[in-house]
Amino acid sequence: MLVLLQSVLSGILIGGIYALMGIGLTLIFGVMRIINFAQGELAMVGMYLTFFLFKLAGVDPFVSVLLVMPALFLLGAVLQRTLIDRALDALPQNQILLTIGIGLVLSNLAMLLFTSDYRLLSTSYSSSSVPFAGVHLSTPLLYCFAITLAITAALYWFLRKTETGCAIRATAQDRDAAQLMGIDVRRMGLISFGLGAALAGAAGALISPTYYIYPQVGSAFTLKAFVVVVLGGMGSVVGATLGGVLIGTAESLSAAYLGSGTKELCVYVIFLLVLLFRPAGILGKSRT
Amino acid sequence: MKALNPLLAASLLAASAASAAPLKIGVINSMTGPEAPIGENLTNGIKLAQEDLAKAGIAVELVWEDDTGKPQIALSAIEKLATRDGVAGVVGPYTSSSANAVAKMAERYKVPLLVPAAAKEEITRQGYKYVFRMNAPANVYGSVIIDAVLSVGKPQTIAFIYENTDFGTSTSKTAKEYAQKKGLKLVADEAYSKGTPDYRSMLSQVKVANPDLIFMVSYVADAILLMRQARELQLAPQAFLGGGAGFTTTEFAAEKAINDQVLTSTQWTENVSWPGAKDFFDRYKARFGKEPTYHAACAYASMRVMAETANKAGGDREKTREALRGGAWDGILGPVKFEDYDGFTNQNHHPMLVEQIQAGKFETVYPPTFAAKKIAYPPAKK
Repeated sequence: MLVLLQSVLSGILIGGIYALMGIGLTLIFGVMRIINFAQGELAMVGMYLTFFLFKLAGVDPFVSVLLVMPALFLLGAVLQRTLIDRALDALPQNQILLTIGIGLVLSNLAMLLFTSDYRLLSTSYSSSSVPFAGVHLSTPLLYCFAITLAITAALYWFLRKTETGCAIRATAQDRDAAQLMGIDVRRMGLISFGLGAALAGAAGALISPTYYIYPQVGSAFTLKAFVVVVLGGMGSVVGATLGGVLIGTAESLSAAYLGSGTKELCVYVIFLLVLLFRPAGILGKSRT
Repeated sequence: MKALNPLLAASLLAASAASAAPLKIGVINSMTGPEAPIGENLTNGIKLAQEDLAKAGIAVELVWEDDTGKPQIALSAIEKLATRDGVAGVVGPYTSSSANAVAKMAERYKVPLLVPAAAKEEITRQGYKYVFRMNAPANVYGSVIIDAVLSVGKPQTIAFIYENTDFGTSTSKTAKEYAQKKGLKLVADEAYSKGTPDYRSMLSQVKVANPDLIFMVSYVADAILLMRQARELQLAPQAFLGGGAGFTTTEFAAEKAINDQVLTSTQWTENVSWPGAKDFFDRYKARFGKEPTYHAACAYASMRVMAETANKAGGDREKTREALRGGAWDGILGPVKFEDYDGFTNQNHHPMLVEQIQAGKFETVYPPTFAAKKIAYPPAKK
């Protein structure tokens, strides 16, 4: 029973990170119809930023989220303006190649600059935990989850209540109609790619105190973010949140009951089953 | 006569250049990639050996190959060393997976290969004539540390957590057999695939089994991650046992919040009574600004043995192989002799040590003949 509780809770906490990655991806997809395969690499950039802010300036990883997010927003905006924007009307496979290429450039650049050594960020609370109903919850993961919730709530509010948010949603619903209504769709693309990158950066910053950092760390996260988004329904923010938590829990449970080596297997079996029986995802609407 | 002089001089020069052409030895190591923090120790150990050899009048030209921890890259490295660079012998690679792959190629190309620190037993168990190993193989990692614990306590149960790679599975397989032979009950057996951020559910499964001992085999980053999460879940066995590798690094020693009293098996420590061990430690620290791990010592000893032997053999591969087989050395790694026993061939019968982190420092605690401190072990639970 304790194992079950521990696994479910740890899974949900880790799932928060996956959700954050997924929301960024889904936002970009919703507005621009581009799957950003560099999402994990953007998170990697966020991790290295956090690492060096901590090592060189002593900034706590959770505080550094406030610095990493604007920095990644800027990086995302620059990437969007210089590269992505040009490929908006290109064939989907060209767009995929473009984002994969950006990811490769980022990870190899990181390898060149920082070598492929693993780096660990050790804070005073890296191995501390909070007892809860007989199980122990990781303190850094709890902080991380709380911040994830705050970011998701803020994003939700932004998309629902602000004018720019409404414009982004309108662009996501129908690009041409939005343009006819006088919405600057290029600007919306810029904002949503920036936001997507900022969310990836935040996920990277948040996980860095409990994980290790190396240049190729991104690819695993990209794949997971992609699974999360497809699971939740392409373009759905709530779906991505749900998908993230679901994947986190599935990993954790399968590691506890089927052996740690099988967790990837379980994740992709679930992924395949969803694709078979609900191709549009749990909360997605079919677009055909 | 005058016309002849320059010619003579030139031919003399050429002759001396040929005889002074430095001995070429290949090195395959994980200089970048996930295993790089340990690889760095091997690199530095070999560099120090090269300098000492130069002092002893043996000029060695090293051909460095980085396998980034991947067997397929190690394979192309040995091919290049054997066919294009014409090395007399090769020292390396570091990881078990790479070393095992390279061993086969060394045999095919008839290049003497001296493996400094890879543990997988099969490497020297396939009857290869050109493959030698300096360090003790995987089975000793487990047996020595279990002996150490049994010498001070009476644990009943043991759990195993290991990376599902060559090194992890082979080390824990023999350790499991040895533990059961010694009457310990195996209560949990978890193989994990590295690179996941969350080992908590696996660890809580182990916690439920409530083992007296937890034996872990991991490389650098996971050793720290696993210990962090184990402390977080308040996993409290009588002792945490580490099977070398990630548990012997300075990075691990620096994590004071999680590493206290963790025991680990090792090939070498600085305060062991082998000749030159302490001196090597001091010189290494002065030269590189870091403390050496056992990997550095193994690599140093391997390069010394390989270069000295190959030098005597005039760089000839066949003669080098014969000399390695027949020779005996004594150095910072204790007495070295490549023997055939228990199905191993060309295997140095190296005695392993156990060290424990006491107040943030590695202390040699077992076997008693080499120990500097006593094992800290909690009294048996009632």
